[in-house]
Amino acid sequence: MSDTTTKQKVWVSGTPARWVRHPQGGRQCPGCHHPIMERLFCEILAEMDIEGNTICVPGVGCGARMSMVVNIDFITVAHGRPPDIATVAKRILPDRLIFTYQGDGDCLSIGLSPFISACARGENITIIMNNNGGFGTTGGQMGPTTLMGQKTTTCPDGRLPTNGYPIHAAELIAPMKGVAYSARSAVNNPANYQQTKRYIKTAFQRQFAGAGLSFVEVLSACPSDWKMTPLESMEWIENQMIAEFPLGVFKDVDKRAE
Amino acid sequence: MAIGEVVIDQNRCRGCGYCVKFCPRACIAIPGDKFSAEGYVLAVFDHPENCNACGACGWLCPHFALEVYKYVDAKPVAAGEVK
Amino acid sequence: MADEKVLLQSNEAVGWGALAADCMCFFGYPITPQNEIPEWFAREFPKRGKIFIQAQCETGGINMLYGAACTGVRAITSTSGPGWGLMQETMSHAANAEVPFVVVIVQRGGPGAGTTNHAQMDYISATKGGGQGGYKTPVLAPNSAQETYDLVQYAFHMADRLRTPVIILSDAIVGQMMEPVVKRKLDFGPLPEKDWAITGFAHRKSGQRLMLSCAQGWTGQPPYLTYQSFMAHLNEKYPQIIENEQKWETWNTDDAKLILVAYGYTSRVCLEAAMMARAEGLKVGLIRPISLWPFPAKIIQEKVAQGSRFLVVEDSLGQMVEDVKCVVQGKTDVNFLGVLARHNPGPGGLIFPGRVLQEVKKLL
Repeated sequence: MSDTTTKQKVWVSGTPARWVRHPQGGRQCPGCHHPIMERLFCEILAEMDIEGNTICVPGVGCGARMSMVVNIDFITVAHGRPPDIATVAKRILPDRLIFTYQGDGDCLSIGLSPFISACARGENITIIMNNNGGFGTTGGQMGPTTLMGQKTTTCPDGRLPTNGYPIHAAELIAPMKGVAYSARSAVNNPANYQQTKRYIKTAFQRQFAGAGLSFVEVLSACPSDWKMTPLESMEWIENQMIAEFPLGVFKDVDKRAE
Repeated sequence: MAIGEVVIDQNRCRGCGYCVKFCPRACIAIPGDKFSAEGYVLAVFDHPENCNACGACGWLCPHFALEVYKYVDAKPVAAGEVK
Repeated sequence: MADEKVLLQSNEAVGWGALAADCMCFFGYPITPQNEIPEWFAREFPKRGKIFIQAQCETGGINMLYGAACTGVRAITSTSGPGWGLMQETMSHAANAEVPFVVVIVQRGGPGAGTTNHAQMDYISATKGGGQGGYKTPVLAPNSAQETYDLVQYAFHMADRLRTPVIILSDAIVGQMMEPVVKRKLDFGPLPEKDWAITGFAHRKSGQRLMLSCAQGWTGQPPYLTYQSFMAHLNEKYPQIIENEQKWETWNTDDAKLILVAYGYTSRVCLEAAMMARAEGLKVGLIRPISLWPFPAKIIQEKVAQGSRFLVVEDSLGQMVEDVKCVVQGKTDVNFLGVLARHNPGPGGLIFPGRVLQEVKKLL
C-alpha cells in the first residue's frame, strides 16, 4: 500500500526550547551533572510556563553557571546565603516561584545556619541541593557529604571518623514542622532523571500551596574531582552514594503545620 | 522507515559516554577514531534503524550536544484516504 | 495638620524614621544596646503589612537585607559592634552589586565582645570597610533623637540615589536618649526608577531577564563587560561621592583658635565644653562631622587655612583622629582626647565636658 502521508520531524529531547543560547552553555567538564539539572529546570519551567515569574538564587560554585542557560531572573549572593535571600524575595513577592540551587558545601557547610533556619521558619521557598560529595569548583575538597573512606584533596587518606561523618540533609530536615517536602533523587539514569523532575515539580507545587519549605537533594557526579571517567562516576553514584543516601521522599505534606 | 533521529553537535560533544550507556537500543557508539575540534572523542549515531526516539540520550547529555527527533505522520495529502 | 511632636528614644526614632521613608522590611538580631530597634519593628511592622524577621544571626540579617534590596524595596537592619563584624562579607557583596539598604550601628565598647555600654570604636570598620576588596560605604552620624529620625530618611534616599548601602553610626548614649522629636516625612527629591531590581522578567518593561550579581565585571555582563571597566566605574563613583556628599555642622569656628572635632555623643559633650570655654573668653569652636565617609575634609581644610588648631575628642583609642591628621597634612597640630579620659575606668565611664575643657586649657 502506498504511503500517501509524509512524515514530519518533531523534537523530542535535548536542548530545551526555551533555554538561553549562551555560547558557554553546557561547556562544563565532560560528564558534569549540573547541565543535566539545567536542562531539567528549563523543561519544568517551560511546562509550568512560569519563567517570567521565577527568581533563582544560586549558590557559589559550578552550579551558578545555570544562569547562562536558564531563562529567568537571578540574584547572586555570598556563599551559603541563598536561603536568606530566597526567604525575603518570597515574602516580598509571594506570587513568584523562588528557588535556590546550591551545592552540598554551600548548603550544608557554610550555609548550614541559613538552611536550617529557613526550614525552622517554614519559609515557602524551594531549596534544591546538588550533592556531589564535596567542594567541586575549588578542586575537590572534602565536604559535608563526602563518604567515609572517600579520598579528597583535604582527606587524602580517605575520610576517617576523625573527619566526622556525612550529613544526610533530606532525612535531617524531614522531622521539622516548617518543612513540607523533603526528597532525594539523582540524575544518573533516565528513570532517575524523570523522578527528579517529578520531585522538583512537586516541591514547586508545595511552595505555591504555602505548605512550608520544600527541599530536593539530587545526587550528582563530579567526574573531574572524583578522578573518574564520566561512566565510572555514574557507577559511583549507583553503587556507593545511593547506599549511603537512599533515594525517595522523606516528608510530604500539602498543608502548613499548626 | 526510521522512527527516530539523533543529531549530534560535534562542537559540543565531549565523549562522556552517557548517551551510549543509556540508549536502550544501542543506537549510539563511541568508535574512538573521531575527535572534536577541541580533542574530545566523539559519539556517533551509527544505528539509526534501531532508534525509537525515546529521548533518554537527550535528557542526559551534559553538553547540550544531542537533539532527538521523532518522525510522526503529517496530515494526509491524498483525498479520500481514510485512517 | 501640624506635625506630631513626641518624646522618643533615638533607637525607636530609627523605626519611626524608617516608616516615614516607606521602608518595607526589617531584619535583625538581638544585641545590646540596640534591642529597642528590632523590638519596635516587631511591634509596628507586621500590623502595617510590612515585613519583620528576626534572623538566625547578623549574617542572616545582612543577607536578608541584601535580598530585599535586590527586589527593589527599602529595607533596614540594626546591630552593634560584634554583629557588625559578622556583616562584613555581604557589605562587600552589596558594594559590588550596588544595592541600596540602610544599616544602623549602635556602637558599644570593643574590640571583641568589648562592653555593652557606649563607645565610639567602630569608626574605622564603618568608614574603611571591614570586608574584602576595598569598597567604600557612606556613613552618617546622628547625635540626637531628632537627627536619628531625619538621617534615617536621608539615608534611604541617599542609598537609592547613589546605589549603595548607607550606614547610620550611632552609639549607646545617643541610642538610649529620649528627646522631643518632630515627626514628619522628609522629601529629598525625585529618584530614578530601579530598573535593575529583580522581580521576574514578566514584570520588567524590557521583558528581558536580568541577573543581579555580586561579581560585576567578572561575569562579563552589561554594563561592565570587563573587570577593568567595573574598576573604572568605582574609580568615578567614589570620588564623586567624596566631592558632593560631605556633611558637617559647625559652632563658632570663624574666629576659633582651637576647634574641637567630635561626632555622636562626644559632640554633645564638646558643644557644652566649647560653650564653657567661650564663657571664659577662650576662642574655641566645634566641627561636628555628620558624614564620616565621605569625611568632611573641606571644612577641616578651610579651618587649617584659617590658622586653627584641632582637638579631636572621641571615645576610642583614636580612629577619627587619624582622618583629621590625614586631612591636616601636618600643617598644624592635631590633639586627641580619648577613652582613657573617661571619668571612671569602668565600662560606663564618660568623657565629661569638664575634662574636655581641662584639655582645652592645657592647649591654649
